[in-house]
Amino acid sequence: MKTKTLKGKSRRPDGYEKTLKENKLLHQYIRKKVNQLLTIMGTKPLNSRGLRDEGIIAIDPIGIISESFGQVLEHLKESNRQLRIARDHLQAVFDTAGVCISIVDRDLKILKCNEKQKELLAKNASGIMGRHCYRVYCGIDSPPLSCPAIETLETGRPVFIKEITKKGKVFQIVTSPLKNGDGTVEGVIEVSMDITEKKKAEDAMRHTEKLASIGQLAAGIAHELNTPLGNIIGYTKLVLQDQAIAQEQKTKLEVIAEQANVGSKIIRGLLDFSHQKKPVLEKFSLNTLIRRVADSLQDTFTAGNIRIIRSLERVPSLQADPNQIEQVIYNIIINAVHALEGRDGIIKIKSRTMKNEVEFSIQDNGPGIPKAHINRIFDPFFTTKPVGKGTGLGLSICTGIIQEHGGSIYVESAPGKGATFTVRLPYKPKTLCGG
Amino acid sequence: MRNKTISLDIIGQMCPACLLLALKEINRNKGLLRSGKANLIVKTDHRDATRTIPGAASAMGYAVSVAKKETHYEIKIEQKNEDENT
Repeated sequence: MKTKTLKGKSRRPDGYEKTLKENKLLHQYIRKKVNQLLTIMGTKPLNSRGLRDEGIIAIDPIGIISESFGQVLEHLKESNRQLRIARDHLQAVFDTAGVCISIVDRDLKILKCNEKQKELLAKNASGIMGRHCYRVYCGIDSPPLSCPAIETLETGRPVFIKEITKKGKVFQIVTSPLKNGDGTVEGVIEVSMDITEKKKAEDAMRHTEKLASIGQLAAGIAHELNTPLGNIIGYTKLVLQDQAIAQEQKTKLEVIAEQANVGSKIIRGLLDFSHQKKPVLEKFSLNTLIRRVADSLQDTFTAGNIRIIRSLERVPSLQADPNQIEQVIYNIIINAVHALEGRDGIIKIKSRTMKNEVEFSIQDNGPGIPKAHINRIFDPFFTTKPVGKGTGLGLSICTGIIQEHGGSIYVESAPGKGATFTVRLPYKPKTLCGG
Repeated sequence: MRNKTISLDIIGQMCPACLLLALKEINRNKGLLRSGKANLIVKTDHRDATRTIPGAASAMGYAVSVAKKETHYEIKIEQKNEDENT
């Protein structure tokens, strides 16, 4: 670059001032950006007095920090990758767990739930997330009084519920607090286990044990009472044959004999119940049997003003014990007659063929069975009849007979709408022994 | 296997120079430090540096520990264990 001397002063090249100004601006910009970066790194800015612009370039802080940021970014990427893997693993465990897991916030709104939870408690629900758990899982409009999630939110402690019914299924539930970094409870983790089948099995076992102990007791009492009752009946009959006895005493003796016979009948029922006889198999027509029982009760129907409607379809012959099946039909029809007592009633008897079973049903239009009784009517000694009118063993014996034949018996009823007893028997009974 | 210790003495230096010098050393030895073949010990007597250097090194994915010696601090920077990553 040429310089000209003018009156002893050195002359700056053209544009010198402008370049100087631009350089100054550039240095100010670099210093400002370096300080911004240093602040991001959490340290102090450069001291303008302690470090000149040339010094900054020599140290190369932008180069150092940008390279460090490269490492930060690399670390973040790796952390993200590992977090994704961990999340996928957790999600797999979450979804394949054999228990229901759900996470709700403080307002009981669902934040997350696993596949098992959806399958059992939110099958047809759409848009589950963000909805109240009690609406989706329990199908109710407000939280129940004994909600374990609310208790956990209030106390911050886990709550265990041994048994709770939701949507017809029985669950065992543990709720645990979901805490944030500072220990505040911000939600609840609810883990539920479906114990419906286990509960059914336990109930069935309890029922069986109850029946077995009742059977043992009944058999013992019946055995002890049978002999003295037989003697009472026998000796009463002997005394009745004596011509010298007055009519008044004869009448009283007849009452003794009649009541002893009632007692004997009850004992026979107890023995039938406790010593269920093995069925003796025969091939017979179910419809013929139904007609025979109905015909034998014709006088009872007429006396009670009961109309019988038969709707018997063609069904295959049964391989079963006709005497025992007759007892079942008789017991159910007699129960219907008793239910219709005092009203002009109708009893419908139907038969039809199902898949591998023959079904018959006996329906009455009586007062129906109260809800509180419906689960107990097959239990031994359960009766709603007045004392002395029924032993409460009829349906229990029927159940034993049908089960022994590998069939099933159930009842449908609602108060005021009558009752229908349905029996299904396989063509060839599965659990028969003997015969 | 960690078989090398790199030492950086920045005693007498103040922030932000402390951090910049430490970062420069970490960047220069990135390969050795990341693979666990070496660790870096930074000696400093500037208290602020015991906060800024560990903060930056942790963000870069290293394990950092600070030990107080009689006249200075020693900041140890090394590879993070696998199970500490997340």
